[in-house]
Amino acid sequence: MNRSLTFEIFRYTAILLALAVTLIPTLWMASMAFKPIAEWSAAGADLTWWPKSPTLDNFRFIFGTSTSDLIVALDRTAGKPILASLLSAVFGTLIAMTAGTAGAYGLSRFGSGQNLPLALIQLRLFPPMAVMIPVMIMWAFFGLVDTWWGLALIYGIVTLPFAFWLMKTFFDDMPREIEDAALVEGCSRLRVFMKITLPMMRPALASSALFVFILNWSDYLIALLLTTREWVTIPVYMASLSSSMTGQLYGAKAALGLIAAVPPVIMGIAIQKHLVRGLTFGALKQ
Amino acid sequence: MSMLATEEKLSVTGDRSTPETRIEDGGRRLGLMLTLPAQLLVLFIAVFPLLMQLYISLTDWSPLDGIGWWQAYELWNNFANYTDLAADSRFWDALGRTALVMAICVPAEFLLGLGLAILFMDNFVGKRLFYSVMLIPMMVVPAVAGYMFFMLFQSGGPVNDIVSTLIGRPFALAWLSSPGTALIAVMIADIWQWTPLMFLILLAGLVGVPEDQMRAATLLGASWSQRFRTIVMPKMKTIIIIALSIRVIENFKIFDTLYIMTGGGPGVATETISVYIYKVTQQDLIWGYVAAIALVILIALSILVSLAISRMNAAKEA
Repeated sequence: MNRSLTFEIFRYTAILLALAVTLIPTLWMASMAFKPIAEWSAAGADLTWWPKSPTLDNFRFIFGTSTSDLIVALDRTAGKPILASLLSAVFGTLIAMTAGTAGAYGLSRFGSGQNLPLALIQLRLFPPMAVMIPVMIMWAFFGLVDTWWGLALIYGIVTLPFAFWLMKTFFDDMPREIEDAALVEGCSRLRVFMKITLPMMRPALASSALFVFILNWSDYLIALLLTTREWVTIPVYMASLSSSMTGQLYGAKAALGLIAAVPPVIMGIAIQKHLVRGLTFGALKQ
Repeated sequence: MSMLATEEKLSVTGDRSTPETRIEDGGRRLGLMLTLPAQLLVLFIAVFPLLMQLYISLTDWSPLDGIGWWQAYELWNNFANYTDLAADSRFWDALGRTALVMAICVPAEFLLGLGLAILFMDNFVGKRLFYSVMLIPMMVVPAVAGYMFFMLFQSGGPVNDIVSTLIGRPFALAWLSSPGTALIAVMIADIWQWTPLMFLILLAGLVGVPEDQMRAATLLGASWSQRFRTIVMPKMKTIIIIALSIRVIENFKIFDTLYIMTGGGPGVATETISVYIYKVTQQDLIWGYVAAIALVILIALSILVSLAISRMNAAKEA
């Protein structure tokens, strides 16, 4: 709009400042992940911004292959929690996407399930903490506590609103001429959906699935309530990584935090075109 | 001969009427089938659990009692949970604290996000890269973000280091262990993580403002602030409402980052409503009481939302 030089200077200063604030927390954790134990906390006023002697010990430590300078050995390594996070998030995404895509198509094309849009928004509205008592009781009853499939089921339900709304807006946007043509050719409705609509929607399905995966992968509270030992997820395991001997295991936690943070950041940037649509329940498109 | 005739007749009538009706019926049946899984999941998570929650909230039931939840009627307590709740100062404090966090974080995120979005409205060198980087915080797992800020705010951590450099003398504030500053640190973390969301949504709205109108206004001599007020803001109204609603709703739930950073402490200094409910659930284990708290919050939220929706609809019609 205003292309004066002062404006450009102001703009770049403000943006660079914002970039610094945006990046410092993440970079600090990344730097911490490669620091040896001696550099974890500041001795006096000497704060190490970059690791002086970078090491992979923190990563080896959380996977149990090195105890190096650390006095403690872990009784549980990070392998299982990473697997738990992966399994629950992937299958949770699968549940949400299957039910969400089918439901969205049913509503978008045949007007079925008129109650779903509002019901699902309400589902998203309530703080998970306010509905967890019955969930905990039911999950205990069905033997789903501390299992990855129990987590996957609740993740699938919690993210269903996003999957449904995203896919609904994609189906609403899709031109129907191709479907109509196939119907005239004598395809059944179901066949049109499976063989024509879904393959055409592949990019939309992929970005919705990634969006839902990020949400599932990001959970902490639900896993905290529904897992105890066997299938704790990364954030729950991470919070338990501190010992009476060394206090906070800064480097080890940072290494694990980095492992947890990288996939959603990459996925998020990959689907940035659809982020607005996802975050606003399809109310806004970019 | 006669059979053939009937057959022919049938097929003829069939041909004449079915293309409409058969597809409609088939479509409706398929629609019901396709929406069934979603319907079942909603039923499974909403209706039955809510009834269970209501039932338990009227009793003193705890998972330690050794009786199943369905036998909770043995511990019926004549609405004592609800009267207790009215007098529970820790609950009201937590609610007030949640409101305070919301009242500071949401406007801060909005203003910062709007400012950034305005800077990103037209093209400049590096825009795409800056834009992608700007979005990173909201993609970071909130629990991990909590851990980042936990490290940053240690007394020997980077925040104090930067402050020391700026003011030129050693500065070692234990942010997270003093009641006043712990809440500030928690709010800074929330603002860091969710300003990008405001930025993203508001920018999407700003780019949607018709350029020819802006150019015409510029030609007519409208100043930047005039153009902003008369052209941009009216177009942005719905978008701003959406962005603010999303953050208000999500901010009310605040738990992950906060709980990792402070655990609700020191004392109860950063105890928000979710943290409070969590603590009663896990530590005190009086689930009858938790169910009552949760139900009150659910009902209050539902009323607020239906009010908001009807107000918005009224505004739309006006």
